[in-house]
Amino acid sequence: MQVEVRRFASLVREGVPGRAGEPAQVELPPSATIDDLLETLELRREEVHLVMVNGRTVSCGDHVLGDGDRVGLFPPVGGG
Amino acid sequence: MERILRINMTDRTATFEPVPDRYAHRAGRWLTSSIVHDEVPPTSHPLSPDNVVVFSPGVVTGTAAPTSSRISVGAKSPLTGTIKEANAGTGWGGRLARLGIRAIVVEGMASGDDWWLVKVSQDEGRFEPADEWSGIKLSEAYASIYERYGGVEAIDVCAIGVAGEQRMAAAGVCFSDREGRASRYAGRGGIGAVLGSKRLKAIIVDDSGAEGVSIADQALFDEGRKKVADALMSHDITKPKGALNTYGTAVLVNIINEAGALPTRNFREGRFDGAEKIAGEAIFDGNKERTGSELYNHPCSPGCIIACSNVWHREDGSEHTSCIEYESDWALGANCGIDDLDAIAEMNQLCNEYGLDTIEMGGTIAVAMEGGVAAFGDAQRAIELLHEVGEATPRGRILGNGAVVTGRAYGVERVPHVKGQNMPAYEPRAIKGIGMTYATTPMGADHTAGYTIAPEILGVSEKLDPLDPDKASVAKGFQEATAFIDSTGHCLFIAFAILDIESGFEGMIDECNGVLGTNWDADDVTRIGGEILALERAFNRKAGFTNVHDRLPAFMESEPLPPHDAVWDISDAELDKVSE
Repeated sequence: MQVEVRRFASLVREGVPGRAGEPAQVELPPSATIDDLLETLELRREEVHLVMVNGRTVSCGDHVLGDGDRVGLFPPVGGG
Repeated sequence: MERILRINMTDRTATFEPVPDRYAHRAGRWLTSSIVHDEVPPTSHPLSPDNVVVFSPGVVTGTAAPTSSRISVGAKSPLTGTIKEANAGTGWGGRLARLGIRAIVVEGMASGDDWWLVKVSQDEGRFEPADEWSGIKLSEAYASIYERYGGVEAIDVCAIGVAGEQRMAAAGVCFSDREGRASRYAGRGGIGAVLGSKRLKAIIVDDSGAEGVSIADQALFDEGRKKVADALMSHDITKPKGALNTYGTAVLVNIINEAGALPTRNFREGRFDGAEKIAGEAIFDGNKERTGSELYNHPCSPGCIIACSNVWHREDGSEHTSCIEYESDWALGANCGIDDLDAIAEMNQLCNEYGLDTIEMGGTIAVAMEGGVAAFGDAQRAIELLHEVGEATPRGRILGNGAVVTGRAYGVERVPHVKGQNMPAYEPRAIKGIGMTYATTPMGADHTAGYTIAPEILGVSEKLDPLDPDKASVAKGFQEATAFIDSTGHCLFIAFAILDIESGFEGMIDECNGVLGTNWDADDVTRIGGEILALERAFNRKAGFTNVHDRLPAFMESEPLPPHDAVWDISDAELDKVSE
């Protein structure tokens, strides 16, 4: 299955193609979880502060993703 | 000796008086709201001589406490008719505090057509003619004032632009940043118009010879400020090269968009397809491309560790504007359907030049677009409309009086406001707690009054579901804590660090106890915050406001907001719990 992943702020780094917020299609095995996705992207769990799936925050790494899900990955951010 | 400076515009006198005992520990928002409550007849017209404008630095402003150079500005608002406190980060407040001036109260009204500047120094407030600075751009006025009075090292400047001179309800109060730019605004609520009605163009502060802020317990104060500094230096949002220092407040564009809560095209949708093009990351990348180096942000005021204020550069590398804040970026960008950072920068700069609140103006242009004055996304037309405000054409006067007046003039139902103030950059249908803050704060729709976004979206302090309606106690708690922080003189952004790091929170209280000689604890933060809100609500009640005014516009209850297709579904009884 494929999920549509957007990385933001400091999670966009050298060696990773694309800009912040630019969608990337990521191929995953069926029933893959958030933790599987982070491993595929070589991101450490502790640097990813917030994960949003289809616009809702998901707290558990074992959340099972579905084909076509829109996933947003954020480090700690704040403003006003 | 702590004192209050009364600037009487009617007889052009400036008089020092001692701080009354009942105000002994009050500063910042606590003091501005106290004085407005005690001195302004609640039913008076905001542009009458009965209104006052109060300036007050916070408890620790002017000291070595980090990120504490805020100035509170209070009055009865011509935009909302409620009591109002707006605050800004600037060296101006620190100079005032070091002169031992706890507040400036501007009262009465000058007769005649002349404009006045008041120069505040150790021994006096001196009136000087200011006609030469009226009717011109604020950047030019500031440059000329600095040249006349000794430069950026000697003074800080507070002034109104042409919008304030024309008594428009979207006029802010402009303060100097650390480099002397006319860029730091106590923006909301039209207090610039109140100063304009009094014909006070500018107040400059020269703190030479100042004795500094008197501190009752230096050791306790030092302990406190170190705890606050440690928290700011270590938290990922506030530390050097952290999120705010790197990307500025506009780092929020993407996350609020991803959450489906970025108000787009006058609050029609919760996602903007151009979000990534105007986000904080795009500002950082664009500046890097145009200047050839990675630019981290600068402090808006002396002594700030967070340093979140940006500069946007033109293609040739020259400075275009400072600062493109999240709110301004959204208001003039996504909310108007505009995804071009150069156009947003131009509009931001025009607001700075004309002395306008960027939030109210972005909201107003979006309402005008709704009314057919321009197409959503038409940046060129939006820029022309802002020039009309600066030129005070008949249409410009409508726009310059904000979204509600503009909605009425153009027959628009979808005007997203509370108590006459346009909503800021978070969709209440998609984030319920912030909607409860908009509805119930005494200020009119104001995100800073109780920033529940921290737990609802950002995962600061805890993680709450933004669509969960059970937020009355969260909204109440945030409003109380905020009223206290607004009185300390700290920037509200310290909350990101001190809500997560307990010793930072303790440090803030230690600092205040150190300065004032009080024995406040965490319960006092809530108690004092509650007292401030009670004062403000008492004023509003006497001005004619009831619970019926603590509501969101009806269209939000019937129009589902994509992508979550959520409506505003918080009951009146639930909303009333916030202000009980």
